[in-house]
Amino acid sequence: MPYLSTYTEPLTTAQASHLLRRATFGPTPNEITQFTGLTATQAVQQLIANQSFVTNPPPPVELDSSQPLAGQPFLDKPFNSDRNFWFGTYIKFWWAGQMARQDVPVSLLDKLALFWQNHFVTTRTVVDDYRYLDRYLRLIRAQALGNFRTFVVEITKDPAMLRYLNGHDNEKDSPNENYARELQELFTVGNKDFAGNDTYTEEDVKAAARVLTGWKYTNYWQQGSTSFTSIFRSDKHDSDNKQFSSYYGNAVLTGRSGSTAGDDELNDLVDMLLAHPETPKFICRKLYRWYVNAAVTQEIEDQVIIPLANFFKSPGNNFAIMPVVEKLLTSQIFFQESNRGSLIKSPAELMLGSLRFFEQPIPDPTTDYQAFRKLMDFLHWNSTDMQMECLDQPTVFGYDAYFQTGYTKNWMNTTTIALRSQFTDALIWRWFEVKPGYKLGVDVLARVTALQPNFADVPGTPAITCETVVANFVKDLFATELFPSQIEFLTDTIMMMGYSRVTWQFEWNAYRSNPSSTDRQNTILWRTRSLMRYLLRMAEYHVF
Amino acid sequence: MKRRDFLAAASTLAANSLLLPIEVDGFSLKALGKNSALVKALKHTTAAFNDRILVIVYLNGGNDGLNTVIPRDQYGTYQALRSNIAIPEEEILPLAGNDVTGFHPAMSGLRNLYNEGKLSIIHSVSYPNPSQSHFRSTDILMTAVDADQTETTGWAGRYLEDRFQGYPADFPNEVMEDPLAIQIGYLTSPTLLGTQQSMGIAISDPNSFYQLVSPEFSASTNELPCCDAGDLIAHIRKQQILSIGYAGEIKQAADLGTNMAAYPPGTDNNSLAEQLKIVARLIHGGLKTKIYFVSLSGFDTHAGQVTNSNSTEGEHAVLLGKLSAAISSFQQDIQLQGIEDKVVGMTFSDFGRRATSNASKGTDHGVAAPMFVFGSSIKKQVVGHNPDLTNGLLPVAPLPWENYRDIAMQIDFRRVYADILNDWFGTETTKTDTFLFNNFNTLTLFSDHIETIASGYWTDPTIWTAGRPPLSTEYVRINPGHTVQVLQSVTVRNVHMQGNLQFAGNAGIHLTG
Repeated sequence: MPYLSTYTEPLTTAQASHLLRRATFGPTPNEITQFTGLTATQAVQQLIANQSFVTNPPPPVELDSSQPLAGQPFLDKPFNSDRNFWFGTYIKFWWAGQMARQDVPVSLLDKLALFWQNHFVTTRTVVDDYRYLDRYLRLIRAQALGNFRTFVVEITKDPAMLRYLNGHDNEKDSPNENYARELQELFTVGNKDFAGNDTYTEEDVKAAARVLTGWKYTNYWQQGSTSFTSIFRSDKHDSDNKQFSSYYGNAVLTGRSGSTAGDDELNDLVDMLLAHPETPKFICRKLYRWYVNAAVTQEIEDQVIIPLANFFKSPGNNFAIMPVVEKLLTSQIFFQESNRGSLIKSPAELMLGSLRFFEQPIPDPTTDYQAFRKLMDFLHWNSTDMQMECLDQPTVFGYDAYFQTGYTKNWMNTTTIALRSQFTDALIWRWFEVKPGYKLGVDVLARVTALQPNFADVPGTPAITCETVVANFVKDLFATELFPSQIEFLTDTIMMMGYSRVTWQFEWNAYRSNPSSTDRQNTILWRTRSLMRYLLRMAEYHVF
Repeated sequence: MKRRDFLAAASTLAANSLLLPIEVDGFSLKALGKNSALVKALKHTTAAFNDRILVIVYLNGGNDGLNTVIPRDQYGTYQALRSNIAIPEEEILPLAGNDVTGFHPAMSGLRNLYNEGKLSIIHSVSYPNPSQSHFRSTDILMTAVDADQTETTGWAGRYLEDRFQGYPADFPNEVMEDPLAIQIGYLTSPTLLGTQQSMGIAISDPNSFYQLVSPEFSASTNELPCCDAGDLIAHIRKQQILSIGYAGEIKQAADLGTNMAAYPPGTDNNSLAEQLKIVARLIHGGLKTKIYFVSLSGFDTHAGQVTNSNSTEGEHAVLLGKLSAAISSFQQDIQLQGIEDKVVGMTFSDFGRRATSNASKGTDHGVAAPMFVFGSSIKKQVVGHNPDLTNGLLPVAPLPWENYRDIAMQIDFRRVYADILNDWFGTETTKTDTFLFNNFNTLTLFSDHIETIASGYWTDPTIWTAGRPPLSTEYVRINPGHTVQVLQSVTVRNVHMQGNLQFAGNAGIHLTG
């Protein structure tokens, strides 16, 4: 059976769309065209290489036009507590802007960065100091395709993480176990193995907490301070040996003292955590659930997760992340047809994906910052209502949809489904103005007009049919194929509303012969908006 | 011979077992065995149970029980365990008729409920082999399994799925035209999960909910693509149908219902009060929904649970203040609405926190903590007893470097669920046992008597359903096969004798009738 072996055929349109939907926040029509016909390896390497366009974007700026710094970067200025909440929010906007941008070649960086941010969770609300949040986010983006070992070491010392999971409070005489527990339970070995057995003990939590004593952050919320960092305080460090359980082969980590003790013991601890047989499996399983399918059967565990984990930890790879992601995204299992549509879109995938698919430009975050802010405000609060607040997960477990029973089904309940419909409806009614001349949404009239050859030549060129309109509107829109009965329903019931199909041609030609007639235009809008609105409300639009 | 004299005389027969006459009078029906024909018959006259409602309050993060319900009888030990966060002795709220236990000073509302007999403290609730992972422990509490088992359905979900068979396909119908369960907010709790989907629906606000759903939308087809995509699409379509199907009923109830009590002002940001306010309005408006699920977050107080200057202030005080104000406002509301006897509520949290505090003025993950059950129908103000902070902590025999202490379990959380299912919702015990995967002893939470669950000394709390010896105001039943040894005289309301009592010396039982 094909599992992890590379899929070598040139990608069809459906396969290229599948790859782009999963590896990015959703493709533009142009990107689907560009990626069709490439091999999986070429396509994924392209998505990786394109990260160079977004690794070092211009920094976030003050987005409030009434502020003296309006349009200027703020991270290079001393800490400003008055603007703390807003600067933190602007960092969220800045990141969402990176995810949605269409002005550079599409890459997989920020989708993967979101995976890691949801893995090594910290939140704006708890971390609070916007500079900490920025540094944390830059670490996440810089390490997303890097080395997992380095990543764990760096995130452990990251000021935002020291704040979020109380590492700062963890001292020799008064250990705080919060980080030590989550480091094992959520970040590396996982709470249970695939069969449901324990993977570490409470004593291991206590021992790891002792290893990690002494790390601190500096200048937190210090008005006017120009720098901050994490430091190691050897006088707060527990320099005794630390005994671990049989889950770690009864390892004893040698206690150290002096200024390098913190790094030395942390490196030992991370080596030990990564040597735990469950760690590479836990990470690979989570990547599989993120990119391929939440359902991990025994077969998938044996044939995909374990081989991928073995590759991840192999001496040749040594916990490099990029090759693992590439292997997974180019695999036969990834392209297996039953894995299309097997996830429900998160609010980010729904909203940013819609923006990208309908080619809604993102205003330049620096030069056009007021429009940028307005759009990001709209997306951010919608996303929050839909239960995905950017950089503000409800708990250290991350968003419910990536760990809770039912997995991505958790995105959909009776309330969120209504909110999602409200958002997609906004793309049809176009009531949201990003800036003068730019109303968010789909110009259905332009779309239909573009389908008509020789628009003005009514007598000489026959009208496009309603079947053509339906076929165009559903093209590349869904991850799964519609049934013929659905196409019939969409045509007769939703678009034509019970009228005979040929009526459309009369109405369309009437509009062609007098495009300035509001009445004639409204007839067209009525039918095509009804169709597009319905399509975006369909369950099929919400899976990917 | 008067009955009291008889007992006194009987007790003089030292060390001899004595069978008391069974026909001791003064028993209410509730004291009869659950399996008696009369009780069974009454249970199936559904009217008695049909309109009963449960409100589940989830305290997200793991509440610090020892600063919530404080053992006043061991103040010195309590203070020594957590000197940097201990509530000063004079600030602890005393409870009427209970000298040994007090509440956090932010909990005056709950204190009043206790004093009115409408709040039950269930001491030291947990389960064997406790997990200290938020995720796992919450999962255990919501799915009601042993610590070494996993289950994808929730305890309340299993109950609802059995009681309302055919949901959601055959619903709404004339038996149940309203949602079976409602979560206020957006969280979808595993508590309500059935085998195929959540048995509840989530709403944030009844008015906006109605506006959000578009009643004209319907799915185009019943056909589904294969595999997981088909499963997900079916799930989404079902949610679409449910949201439309119930929106009108919820809106109608919200319009008909009125809040009659004052709730905390919006400036308090008391999200729990806002949620319970909606619940009270919907119940009052006639919604027949059986279970409501609400929550309050922020209880994971690893650091700064009290302020530097004052241990009665800080994050935890704010949370308990919200909890207390929200529940007491809610209880007052449903009392004024005249529906107090139809509703009980319960709180639960991920786990308790350490008895010992950490140096960050916080507490790390622990084991047992008190639960509250509230409502005018509860009959036990106290189940279990204060944790023994000297001899009752874990580890039982700490090694030299084990400088932390946890609170050991007294009451398995599933016993609370069992009483709610059996005695509040009137479920057959055999069904309750399948919902909870085992038979759990009653806490006699909803009855005015107390029973034995084992043989032993009268003073041994573990032989009694309520996790403590009977009070002088309580009826007692000694169950068949149980022998209870009375070493010192005790006073109770009455005794229903089906087992044995053994008396030592001059010990006797005084009945107040």
